[in-house]
Amino acid sequence: MNNQRTRLIRRGVFTALTLSQILLSASAFAQGAMPGMTMPITPATKAAASKQDTGMAGMKRDSAAPRIRSLKERIDPATLPLLPSDLPKWMDGRGNYEVFYKRGAYNFGIYRIPTLAYDFNATGVGHSMAYEDIVRGNTTDLETATFDRINRVLLSPPKLAPTEKSIAPTFARRFGLLEQVFDWTHTLHFQTIDVLANPDMTNAQKDAEIERLYRNYRTSVPFAITPLPMNMGYLYNQPYSKRMRDNYPKVNGLFWGYHWLQTAVYDMLYGKTHAEQVKAYEQLGKRYHEVELYKTDRPFMPMNAETSPRFAKRFPELANIFDNLHMLHDMANDILVSPDLSDKQKDEQVKAAIWMVMDAAHKNERPGDFSTGETTLHDHRFMDGMPGMGIMPGGTKELMYMPEADMGWMSMEQCHHCSMPLPEEAMTWHMSTSTSQGVTMQARCALCVRDYTLETPGSAILQIPTENPERSVVLITDEKGEYWTRPENEKNIVFIEAEASHAGCSEWSQAFSSRAAFDAWVASNPDYKGAKPYSLKEWWAKQGKKPDTYYKPKGPVENPYASEANRKPGPATGDDNSVPAGGNK
Amino acid sequence: MTRLTRSLFVAGGFLSLLLTALPALAIDHDNIDAGRPLRFDDAESIAFRERAVEFGLAAYSPFRRGGIGVGFAAEYLYGFKVNSYYSVDFDPSVGARSGSGDKRFDAGNIGLGLFHNFNRETLTRPAFSARVDAYLPTGRGSRGTQFRLRGIMSRTFNQYSRFHINVDANVQTSARDGERSFLPTVTLGFTRPLGYPTYFNRTGLAEVGVRASQETGRGAIFYGGVGVRQQVTVRSVLDLGMQSDFAATNSGAARDNVRLIVGYSTQF
Repeated sequence: MNNQRTRLIRRGVFTALTLSQILLSASAFAQGAMPGMTMPITPATKAAASKQDTGMAGMKRDSAAPRIRSLKERIDPATLPLLPSDLPKWMDGRGNYEVFYKRGAYNFGIYRIPTLAYDFNATGVGHSMAYEDIVRGNTTDLETATFDRINRVLLSPPKLAPTEKSIAPTFARRFGLLEQVFDWTHTLHFQTIDVLANPDMTNAQKDAEIERLYRNYRTSVPFAITPLPMNMGYLYNQPYSKRMRDNYPKVNGLFWGYHWLQTAVYDMLYGKTHAEQVKAYEQLGKRYHEVELYKTDRPFMPMNAETSPRFAKRFPELANIFDNLHMLHDMANDILVSPDLSDKQKDEQVKAAIWMVMDAAHKNERPGDFSTGETTLHDHRFMDGMPGMGIMPGGTKELMYMPEADMGWMSMEQCHHCSMPLPEEAMTWHMSTSTSQGVTMQARCALCVRDYTLETPGSAILQIPTENPERSVVLITDEKGEYWTRPENEKNIVFIEAEASHAGCSEWSQAFSSRAAFDAWVASNPDYKGAKPYSLKEWWAKQGKKPDTYYKPKGPVENPYASEANRKPGPATGDDNSVPAGGNK
Repeated sequence: MTRLTRSLFVAGGFLSLLLTALPALAIDHDNIDAGRPLRFDDAESIAFRERAVEFGLAAYSPFRRGGIGVGFAAEYLYGFKVNSYYSVDFDPSVGARSGSGDKRFDAGNIGLGLFHNFNRETLTRPAFSARVDAYLPTGRGSRGTQFRLRGIMSRTFNQYSRFHINVDANVQTSARDGERSFLPTVTLGFTRPLGYPTYFNRTGLAEVGVRASQETGRGAIFYGGVGVRQQVTVRSVLDLGMQSDFAATNSGAARDNVRLIVGYSTQF
């Protein structure tokens, strides 16, 4: 009785939520603004916001974004962020401050998937080679000789991790603190991946160890990056922003390709067996090498929640740290390629950029903090349903614009197939995902993830929960819709698919780890008495109706990036921006 | 089987055991510690909380003495605070050795060291470090404690090349008759990554230096060496080196014609 009542209440709440969101979106679109969206900036509101903003004393802000950040347009020095006068001493520390990684049997577990480890090693070389050339003033060759040199390494990646500062000694000597910030956060990157790649730990043990790694990261050095969701629109709207993107698209594309891999890898590993991880990387690695590395038309860096929403929901602080780290890379790139900034200005701006994302700069601030009504450094709103994601450029609290795979406006708290709310909080794990076309979409039920995948061209990695949090169904599908799965799944996995309104799809479409688990669930849910158990093969052959609850969210504008020529006619070298798969080779 | 051959066999077996028994545990190929394989240190410390062990095996032929000597070296390092580490080392040897006609097994002196890095290298400032070692008289016939104070400077030039200047002041508290109690040494080291931009796991090393002869009145000894450090696993480095005390101001000075060194370092 209680179960039935709960189900009825849940359905009612879901339906009400959906309807209210449809109305909300429609009304907001009509008004040209979404709830929580950034208000249009006028000089008056900007001045008021500057007064209200309490952190980063003395830092100036610039909210106006030119269409293309040409290197010929000179930056007005008065618009550059100013360094606070009371920076902590460690910001000017002279020592190396190297701290050893947390010990654990899982360390270097990434080498259990050798191709993944080698590709990660190559990203380190790629970062370092670009930085070294940029810092040494070799920017005229960045899109040609440097790109080719990096690309050779990406195609034949080193088997052992290189020491980045030995590849970029000039960069490391000039920007020692930045190098240490990168290094320490990369260590967190690697160790979390090592844990996830370890086949000897349960999912619960992995989660617990990742929490410990996170604590170790924050407490061992003073220069930890903040785990708060940062307003990406603010950080990517500094006077120097987008100069790398708009003038060196090929090398910038490589950076964003590395960051795509470094974020996509989390959901690829999370909750999977070793065999599934290896198989999944065959597909993800192919995508990385053939597409993601050579994209030059991204308007913005890949975000952790776009590529690994499961991980970003489970570990929002880590997702934020990695996004903030990647944004710091972008800010540093933009500063360093700016020919109109003097060496002194570059040194100061790099330091200011570091400080903007430091944990210490956001003391006592919390996720969700947001008071001024304008995008600021201390705007820590996050996407509804995704605490591991700060507000994106042009986005709102409810919606973000995802140019990848032509997704357009999306809500991170709704199923991307049926628009119904996704499981929340303790039940977050009970969400299905489909990784295809370079992004990972969230789905509420097994049917949604299957049909979404089959409607999307290309290969995919599906992860569907069962009643057992330790056991997901993982399917790796190819372009023809054929799938690979662990052999025991064919034998054991059973699905229910008693299609009705999608208001209740998380009940009537589910996977179970065994026939016994299916029977037990049906027994405790008499509404489904007599429901047919489908084998994996039978279930995969089915196709549902178009969800009755689906609607396409509409944002405040058609495309917030429309006014930005992120695909510039030609880079500084005069080359065509488009890069064939495999680079110039 | 002679005693020397047996000792060689045992030492080689011990090293092989260490190489195989320890899981991949390194220190970066470009982080240079004295003895691995040449005499000089770079100015960088190991990381805070890092533990490392370094092993070495050397074969040497003393000048004008005939025969071959074999030395084993092991050192444990721990980063007890940021930019600092302490170390414990010992270096037993057997066979022919310079400065002594004794070929018996010698357990060697136990060394205790303290290293501190004062600053990282910047575009305008070299990295500076200091290291103090005390060698306890645990070896055959040793007496008194020997101290060594080493100042280290590392500086990058020509983008990837680095030189390292080590200046040592060795003090023997109970020098025998005919032995110096103060031995100054200066070493100029050079390192450069090998294989860029294709390979990233190998560093080449070279050194030249001069030290005072241990015996009074025997002048100075000039030495040099070349070596390579190769990352062999994610946490271990293999090193190979060759050294020679190639000249001396006094032909009677005790020295080695050639030393061949192989070593292995791991971190954990």
